[in-house]
Amino acid sequence: MGAFEGLMHGFSLAITPTNLLFAFLGTLLGTMVGVLPGLGPAATISLLLPLTYALGSPVTSIIMLAGIYYGGMYGGSTTSILLNIPGESASVVTCIDGYQMAKKGRAGAALGIAAIGSFVAGTVGVIGLTCMAPPLSRFALRFGPPEYFSLTILGLMLAAYLTGKSIIKGIVMVILGLFLATIGLDPVRGNLRYTFGTLILQDGLDFLTLGMGIFGIGEILSNLEQKMKAELVTTKIRNLWPTVKDFAAAKWAIVRGSLIGFFVGLLPGGGAVIASMLSYAVEKKSAKHPEEFGEGAIQGVAGPESANNAAASASFIPMMTLGIPGNPAIAMIFAALLIQGVIPGPLLIKEHPDLFWGVVASMYIGNVMLIILNLPLVGLWVQLLRIPYSILAPVIVMICSIGVYSMKYNSGDVVMMFIFGIVGYLLRKFDFDLGPLLLAFVLGKLMESSLSQSLLISKGDFSIFFTRPISATILSFAALMILLPLISKIVKGLWKKAPGAAV
Amino acid sequence: MKKWERIAALVFFLIGLGAAWEATNIGFGSFQTPGPGFYPFWLAVILAVVSFIYFLNNLGKDSKVVALWEKKTWVRPLLAIILMLVYGLLLDRLGFLLDTFFLFLIWLTVIEREKPLTVALVSVLGTVVVYILFVQFLQVQLPKGLLF
Repeated sequence: MGAFEGLMHGFSLAITPTNLLFAFLGTLLGTMVGVLPGLGPAATISLLLPLTYALGSPVTSIIMLAGIYYGGMYGGSTTSILLNIPGESASVVTCIDGYQMAKKGRAGAALGIAAIGSFVAGTVGVIGLTCMAPPLSRFALRFGPPEYFSLTILGLMLAAYLTGKSIIKGIVMVILGLFLATIGLDPVRGNLRYTFGTLILQDGLDFLTLGMGIFGIGEILSNLEQKMKAELVTTKIRNLWPTVKDFAAAKWAIVRGSLIGFFVGLLPGGGAVIASMLSYAVEKKSAKHPEEFGEGAIQGVAGPESANNAAASASFIPMMTLGIPGNPAIAMIFAALLIQGVIPGPLLIKEHPDLFWGVVASMYIGNVMLIILNLPLVGLWVQLLRIPYSILAPVIVMICSIGVYSMKYNSGDVVMMFIFGIVGYLLRKFDFDLGPLLLAFVLGKLMESSLSQSLLISKGDFSIFFTRPISATILSFAALMILLPLISKIVKGLWKKAPGAAV
Repeated sequence: MKKWERIAALVFFLIGLGAAWEATNIGFGSFQTPGPGFYPFWLAVILAVVSFIYFLNNLGKDSKVVALWEKKTWVRPLLAIILMLVYGLLLDRLGFLLDTFFLFLIWLTVIEREKPLTVALVSVLGTVVVYILFVQFLQVQLPKGLLF
């Protein structure tokens, strides 16, 4: 099936009433959690995972969950602009200039350009997904265990390097995540590992329990340290349509943001958060008037908001073609596919064309739904922000508990989630980034099984990872990643020592 | 922060050592025939090594003393932690609805210091909405306990 036929087939699935309804529900819910601070798309998707059992149809389930993810990217900007609190983490940088614009009475223009940029970038991202995923998955068919092992190494290294401020702390989180994944039954022989004789650890740790604990509960505990004091810009929002001058100023920011977002989204370990930050940095560097940044520059809103949407769409590519999820939200969708009995990887498009093309087509439709939800209806979302956070916190605790309990009907899992919440809170306290931990946890099983299969093939010879061309290429990228910062450090050091060098 | 970073590094280092030791108990096997402890052993060793580098990176004194929790910012998270753990442990005994009702009640009164009217309204409404949405509409099985 070519891309065009595939897409047409996908549209025929996506426009059935049920799928349209769930695409709408997903985008609506996504916008809502995007607007609400403290509840992100990853946590929401994990909350709804148990419900997808009941839905039965994989296409419909994933259409809804995908809608939550890219919908969250739209909604996050609203809170950032009006409240100076990021609605979700990919909109952190939007606060800087968005809130300044709102204070100067230009909230409408900021919200408008964010929605338009999101629409353009989201669509660019889906077009990229349509064109790139099929050839990539054909290529990935040549991958064996050694290639997958190398790929997980590269992905996790990218995750450690790209996310937090400190690389070494990122690596600590990655190893810890891999380590947590080894708890329970050993995948090869079925021996028990690190269960300390307890029953609850025998099945291993559950992805949802861990994810909701460190993200959902951990976030709440961090937020409790200070009273959330938010100043909602309450002036009436008019003129949602930005002026011609605004467009002229923002159009290249949107284009650049879309491209940056798409390529960052492709990287394993990349995703919307990094894409938005990178886009902000690029806009600020390339601006004619960099002094306007921080004072309400429209490019500072348009660029990052475009980038996070493009990244959200693009991050479906490595997950669906290689089976490597790049960020926590997409990892939740990865888990949802597994629940539905679909194994994400190079065979996904071939074996489940309905699922792949149906979801892709629904993303085109979802983007149109989102711009309608976010432009004319933005006033509605602003009302949502009047809910005080103090009430929201126990509600989130309750919803997380329902989500975790309904997986195995075991209240021990709920307690376990709270314990992970405490761990997540403490790690946050020490400035550890939790994204790499969760990703490493998800990839841990694949890493161990591909390692042991590779060693079985090669009879214990590690050179198998360096002699197969694809694996060697991937590993050399990984090696480059380690060496680059070292080289730049050495070069900088030499510069400093050179007499008369300007630093 | 350096002092705290060193403590964190030390904790991870000890976890690494302990896990490596446990891995040899599980069975390391050999390179040709890796045992169940082979992969965790190397992970644990890497964790210990990386933590050691992390420790070395944070040698030296802080320019000023940094507290991990300023003033009394630890009070509310600690209360929440206690409340959540009790909530989780009582889930089966009290049943989801009653337990959740108390969670709202105590959380809003003790942690958020909301007005009694808000507390009562949110606790009752929250519990009722959960019952209708999750139990009646979505048919999620929740612990029954004393009520319902």
